[in-house]
Amino acid sequence: MHAARLFFRLIVRPLLREPLRALLTALAAALGVAVVAAIDLAAESSTGSFQSSLETLSGEAVYEISAVGGVPERVHGDLVRLPYPGRFAARLEDYALVGPRRERVPFFGVDLFGDPVAGAAAAAFRENLGERLAEPGVLAGAALGYVEGDTVEITVNDRAHRLRVAGVLSRSAAPTEDQDRFLAMDIAHAQRLLDRLGKIDRIYVYDAPESEAWQRAVRAVLPDGVAFEPAGARSEGNRRMLRAFRLNLRVLSFIAMIVGAFLIYNTIAVSVVRRRTEIGVLRALGASRAAVRAAFLLEGALFGLAGSALGIPLGWVLAEGAVEAMSATVSSLYVTSTPGEIRFSVESVLAAVSCGLGTALLAAWLPAAEASSAAPSAAMGRARIEYDARRRSGAHFLRAVFCVAGGAALCFVPAWNRIPVAGYAAAILLIAGAALATPAAAERILRTAAYVMARLFGAQGFLAARGLAASLARTSALVAALATAAAMTVSIGIMVGSFRDTVILWMNRQLAADLYVRPVGRGGGGFAPTMAPEIADRIQALPEVSAVDRFRSYAITYNGLPAKLAFGQVEVHGRRTATRFLEGPAEEKIWASLAAGDNVIVSEPFSRKHDVHAGDYITLPPAGRQAAFRVAGVYYDYSGEQGFIVGDRSIFLQYLPDPRPSNLAVYLHPGVDVRRARQAVMEAAGEYSIFAATNRTLREQGIAVFDRTFAITYALEAVAIVVAVLGMAGGLLALVIDRRREIGVLRFVGASARQIRKMALVQAGLLGMLANLMGLVLGVGLSLVLIYVINEQSFGWTIQFHWPVGLLLAGLTGIHLSAVLAGLYPARLAAAVDPSEAVHEE
Amino acid sequence: MKSGETVLRFSGVSKRYFLADRAVDALRDVSLDIAGGEFVALTGRSGCGKSTFLNLAGAMDFPTSGSVAIDRLRTEKMSAAELDAVRRGRVGFVFQFFQLLPTLSAVENVELPLQLAGDRRPRARALEALELVEANGLAARLPHQLSGGEMQRVAIARALVHSPSVVLADEPIGNLDSESAAVVMRLLRRIADELRTTVVMATHSLESAAVADRIVALRDGRIETVSKGV
Repeated sequence: MHAARLFFRLIVRPLLREPLRALLTALAAALGVAVVAAIDLAAESSTGSFQSSLETLSGEAVYEISAVGGVPERVHGDLVRLPYPGRFAARLEDYALVGPRRERVPFFGVDLFGDPVAGAAAAAFRENLGERLAEPGVLAGAALGYVEGDTVEITVNDRAHRLRVAGVLSRSAAPTEDQDRFLAMDIAHAQRLLDRLGKIDRIYVYDAPESEAWQRAVRAVLPDGVAFEPAGARSEGNRRMLRAFRLNLRVLSFIAMIVGAFLIYNTIAVSVVRRRTEIGVLRALGASRAAVRAAFLLEGALFGLAGSALGIPLGWVLAEGAVEAMSATVSSLYVTSTPGEIRFSVESVLAAVSCGLGTALLAAWLPAAEASSAAPSAAMGRARIEYDARRRSGAHFLRAVFCVAGGAALCFVPAWNRIPVAGYAAAILLIAGAALATPAAAERILRTAAYVMARLFGAQGFLAARGLAASLARTSALVAALATAAAMTVSIGIMVGSFRDTVILWMNRQLAADLYVRPVGRGGGGFAPTMAPEIADRIQALPEVSAVDRFRSYAITYNGLPAKLAFGQVEVHGRRTATRFLEGPAEEKIWASLAAGDNVIVSEPFSRKHDVHAGDYITLPPAGRQAAFRVAGVYYDYSGEQGFIVGDRSIFLQYLPDPRPSNLAVYLHPGVDVRRARQAVMEAAGEYSIFAATNRTLREQGIAVFDRTFAITYALEAVAIVVAVLGMAGGLLALVIDRRREIGVLRFVGASARQIRKMALVQAGLLGMLANLMGLVLGVGLSLVLIYVINEQSFGWTIQFHWPVGLLLAGLTGIHLSAVLAGLYPARLAAAVDPSEAVHEE
Repeated sequence: MKSGETVLRFSGVSKRYFLADRAVDALRDVSLDIAGGEFVALTGRSGCGKSTFLNLAGAMDFPTSGSVAIDRLRTEKMSAAELDAVRRGRVGFVFQFFQLLPTLSAVENVELPLQLAGDRRPRARALEALELVEANGLAARLPHQLSGGEMQRVAIARALVHSPSVVLADEPIGNLDSESAAVVMRLLRRIADELRTTVVMATHSLESAAVADRIVALRDGRIETVSKGV
């Protein structure tokens, strides 16, 4: 028989007869594809093309030279005098808040005459550049919308300035958002404005000769601890750091696709069961096994293609929503991120289509193989098929045990290249184990539940439970799909809830000061704005204030990854907070050792990322010196993923003699009114622009950032549940259609339409309950993998396990209600079955 | 209802169905009284109205005109819920293809009418019904573990378990070998004779119709002849 005709008769025609069910399956696949595409697009937009905004003007630089705390200005002079070709462009880098909207943009001090990038951008007015810059003026990136002669108000660090726009710079013919949103100033003026005389932040190297002699000469000029590395190292470091974040989101997005796969599997499996007679007849008439298999695989492909076609545009829409949330997460956890445009490339379309198609074909493979390999007997009834399904459930259960055992073993395998590959594999094995255990577990539970249901709902309850128990071949995949979605809700609920509680506990111990002060200017990419030292002195002098802890942090690169080097006043901080240490001696001893010499403590993420432990020595490059510091302890920290190295201010000021703090922790005398004290602190700052937050506000902000960070995971969960519920509706519809005759018989033996409707609804509720039960067990298992394997290996945080009971109850109740809602239409359909017609149609 | 009293009364009953492009008169002006304990066979070709007669007699449908009374209760004015109640209490059905629920054991199938009527402990009565049809040894078996004759006996037990006034059997031996068919016909006869339950059986087989007290031949929806059986 011609394959196309076979496909049309065996597959397409029956699908057309049940358009709603076909549409629901396609929609489930579409949502799966949409989520995968959306996460990919949004991640690409918010992190993929990520480039530190401070590299906006780096152009075609080959190398960059930098140091923690700045490079001495004389180094630039020494480099320029080297007898080699190559250009060295000195930069001062900071961030400015611009205009009434206080938009944060990069602020550069550049040598406009010698700088290859900024100089080229300023070529239009090169002749009178000197004249334009004679008085401190600023050059505005074209996308900011200023014109020459405007006055621009900017805030850098703790100072507000009014500057004249001396010119408008554009790096391209058509100004783009990300390229032309910056301010530049002559480097000498900038040094004065920012009070950084004698220091530059970075030197870019252009047109460098590719010779070892040149490199040796450059290194000879550079003091110890000054980094000389290929340009873009910061972006590369950020990208490496964001890799785990992106990967975890991508894996989460695949869960929705897995749920979709179960549903496609179910649809095809139902097709095969229903068409056994036709398959038998067709085989008898000469259709080959391959043709039968191909027909059902094509049915899967049809769903995959339809899902991709619907899912890709839907993914775009979802990506628009996801990108903001994702950028907020990236900004709060990693580096400043301005989302780029969401762009569909040929690759992303192909990836989405292959994801949809591949999953659909995989899902269709088993039922298609079953359809073709068995010698299909037209007389083989449903009871026999179900009997076989029950017989096989024991073997499947045994396989499930192996999967779970394998998954548990994989949890002990360390990360590969900071990627928790074994952790992901363990999660997949657990999901597979749960799916394999579903038929056996479902049968046992439903058979027992039948008697409870009979008591609760009478005959309808009994029939509903027994009907489901006896329809394992149909219902197992549905339960597995909804259970996977429920497990996602449970595992993410437990993980996020535990994380949240851990962070709250941590904040309670760590945030002991009454007020926290920072400059109004905002940093980015680990770059912390600073404030004048006298602000701290003035605040300390206030009668309300008991002590001030001056805290300073620098963005550094450690082992090629971004990290933060910070120091505070141990004599203030150590006495007033209760920091929890993971490694090291008693807390007092640790604080004492920090104040006594070259000792530091490191945060847990830093320790895990770089395998640094208490007692180890680490080499740091503060201000052009290589110095070894002993790690006195490892402390719990949840303020960022990059990791902190923290020392005592008195020690570090010897290396980095810049007294400007980036934050102040202000401790008040007992009984002082915090609001009044805050007012006094703000007033004490006088001409400086600072912001003081109360302890309570800071905690609230911290939790708000936390909640925003995980908002996207809840969105992914919701989509997985919607996919499962759509599948549930389709599956229940199939169940009703297949059981028309039984429904008819029930009507003949006395069941009312209402009883039939109730029975169908009880079935939907039972499926929801079963899925919740399986989902709860699987979800707890997955949450353990998430918390103790994937999270620890990816991010390095210890999360204390907590049961977010309220959240779980709400989530599981939501799933159960959704399942019952999904059963409403099939129940209506069941009640409307014409018994005479249904019983006699055989 | 006492034996000899009219259990089922058809008075000028017509039933018209509307198919896609035409109206079909399945029954035309049929009047018939059937007494308690009587065994009536309906014969006639396919499409003559036998199944429609049984549907109306079993309170599965309303007549287009005329009236049907089961135990003197007229169905044409009943609500759907009242029809359900009549069916639950007064009617038992036996089908050609047995129509046992494949997911339930024999005894669970027999329990169904009682459970649907709200009986929470139906097991004893179900076992009694199985014993009556000599199928008590089959109680725990699933339908696919039974032969055709055994399935039909279980189906008859299900039709009898709630002590209905009338058992309606639609081609009950149409799918059985001759030996099983003979067993089933003997059973139906016993039901009428010993339980005094009215049996109305639609059949193609004149031989099996001969077992009945009366044979009603239908043709094109009308009663053509009424003759005596055994």
